[in-house]
Amino acid sequence: MRNDPDLIREVEQFLYREARLLDERRFHEWVGLFTDDVRYWMAGRSNLYPKHSKAISILDPSRYVEDDTALEDELALLDETKETLMSRVARLDTGMAWAEDPPSRTRHMISNIEVEPGADENELKVYSNFIVYRSRAGSEEDFYVGARQDVLRRVDGEWKIAGRKMTLDQNVLSAKNVSIFF
Amino acid sequence: MAEDFGGLVDSEQGLVSRRIFIEPEIYEAEQRQIFARCWLFLCHDSQLPLPGDFFSTWMGEDPVLVVRDSGGTVHAFLNVCRHRGNRLCRADHGNAASFTCAYHGWTYTNDGRLSGVPYLKEAYHNELDRNQWGLVPVAQLDQYKGLWFATFDAQAPPLRDYLGEMAWYLDTFVDRRDGGVEVVATHKWIMPCNWKFPAENFGGDAYHVPWSHLSAVTTGFSSGVTTKPATTGAMVSPGNGHVLICVGPDDVGDPPIAEVIAYEQAIRPEVSARLGPRARRINPLVGTVFPNFSLLRATSRTFRVWHPRGPGKTEVWSYVFIDKAAPPEIKEAIRLAGVRGFSPSGSFEQDDMDNWQECTQTCRGVASRRMPLNMQMGLGRDRFDAELGAWASAYRISESNHRQFYRRWAELMAAGGWRELAAAPAREQQYA
Repeated sequence: MRNDPDLIREVEQFLYREARLLDERRFHEWVGLFTDDVRYWMAGRSNLYPKHSKAISILDPSRYVEDDTALEDELALLDETKETLMSRVARLDTGMAWAEDPPSRTRHMISNIEVEPGADENELKVYSNFIVYRSRAGSEEDFYVGARQDVLRRVDGEWKIAGRKMTLDQNVLSAKNVSIFF
Repeated sequence: MAEDFGGLVDSEQGLVSRRIFIEPEIYEAEQRQIFARCWLFLCHDSQLPLPGDFFSTWMGEDPVLVVRDSGGTVHAFLNVCRHRGNRLCRADHGNAASFTCAYHGWTYTNDGRLSGVPYLKEAYHNELDRNQWGLVPVAQLDQYKGLWFATFDAQAPPLRDYLGEMAWYLDTFVDRRDGGVEVVATHKWIMPCNWKFPAENFGGDAYHVPWSHLSAVTTGFSSGVTTKPATTGAMVSPGNGHVLICVGPDDVGDPPIAEVIAYEQAIRPEVSARLGPRARRINPLVGTVFPNFSLLRATSRTFRVWHPRGPGKTEVWSYVFIDKAAPPEIKEAIRLAGVRGFSPSGSFEQDDMDNWQECTQTCRGVASRRMPLNMQMGLGRDRFDAELGAWASAYRISESNHRQFYRRWAELMAAGGWRELAAAPAREQQYA
């Protein structure tokens, strides 16, 4: 996989095109890139002592969690199906989605792409990082920075996103909302 | 003499000065007169189930460490080392027998005792009395049905008195079934607005729902949210600045999920029996425990604290709560409804922040600041309702709760202490 430059190039081009659809606010086309069974999930990060920290002495090791990313059954920033993504896009078309009126001006930077074999021959596991810059109204600015793990699936000769798990590297989100997509 | 900031609110006329949302000296006075005096929400009991569990939070701008000690007793301390004032515990939550300061290594046990001081013998010559230098506890700490609250004011009335009739209204959120509720982890984010805008919104702004949130209603993110005139429901104020938006008993604001609606129907007799006859008259959907703790059952199930971070900034800590007795698939559905409805990305909540931001930021202008805010809707159209144990508005959309919320704010800003507040006439007589 790492030795297949054509495939890697194809995946990169797919992800860059996806990013451009978002930046051009072509959300209906963007939602079309997902399979019907997609889980689109994003969580932030906790602020925890590592187990070996000398700042505490642990009383009950069974209560100790090493992973600072939220578990999948905990509270996520986004936990969507294809259907709820479509509802979110439909909401933007109502003329009353105030968080996006005036709309955000976004620039999605996608990098650190790694392509690995997926669960079967039709699928790939793809790692990437993102920096999303948002400018809005007069002088509002936000950065959303994090990592993605995608499952890409070949459907009728086209790549589709069959899974997207994202980690946003903030504990307290510095943006007032998450009204954009990643 | 210091200015009487209480005069900035005219609750009889429904006029509120915009200075209270932006001026630094008013914010500083609020920290002393409101946040260092009132009972503030800390966390839910389900967040500290076992000995050693701790949770770091804030009371106003003070960092607070809530910890269940090795014997099982819950404490709340200033999360501040007694030596040089460093913030002691830097983690959000965890489990610890003791905490050691990162600066010089002073160590405190989970019941607050100072147990270790490096070079105690050599540098302090054994003359430091460690018993005098333990962590500083809050003045009062108590819980109501799993909701832990604390106050920095020893003169504050007991929690149960502070809540007063609000206690029953809290039951409608957290005590509907055996075992109460449990919370799923947290959303934390920064909103560029004054803390009072979200607090008053959750406490009484039914008016914005059919406009601000219409896009979420029409695209399927809610069920049963009434956007047309209806005769049932009222703004309800049980006293002490606590305020709630209530609908009629048959109006529900449940998430638009078939299994949740079926679950609610199935448990309705049990909930109704538990809550008593008042619940057959009114259904509280959203509310604020004065000053900055809000609860919501409409479309999602969340409670949250609006932590003040300066006059123009609020840090929200929001939790999804779920009936402990609910089956796993209902808990999962409620969790998802929380993410999709009320969270930084929530289809309802994301539209609120812009409005609160602009309402705050336009207060910066000198001329804009001179313009009082209009909170006159339904003025004189509310009355004390003995059956509800609260003031209630004549129509289900009213700003009566805003007037009650800011009236309480003004009372606290004017009063020298709890003794003056306790001497005020009973709530029922105040409008007489």
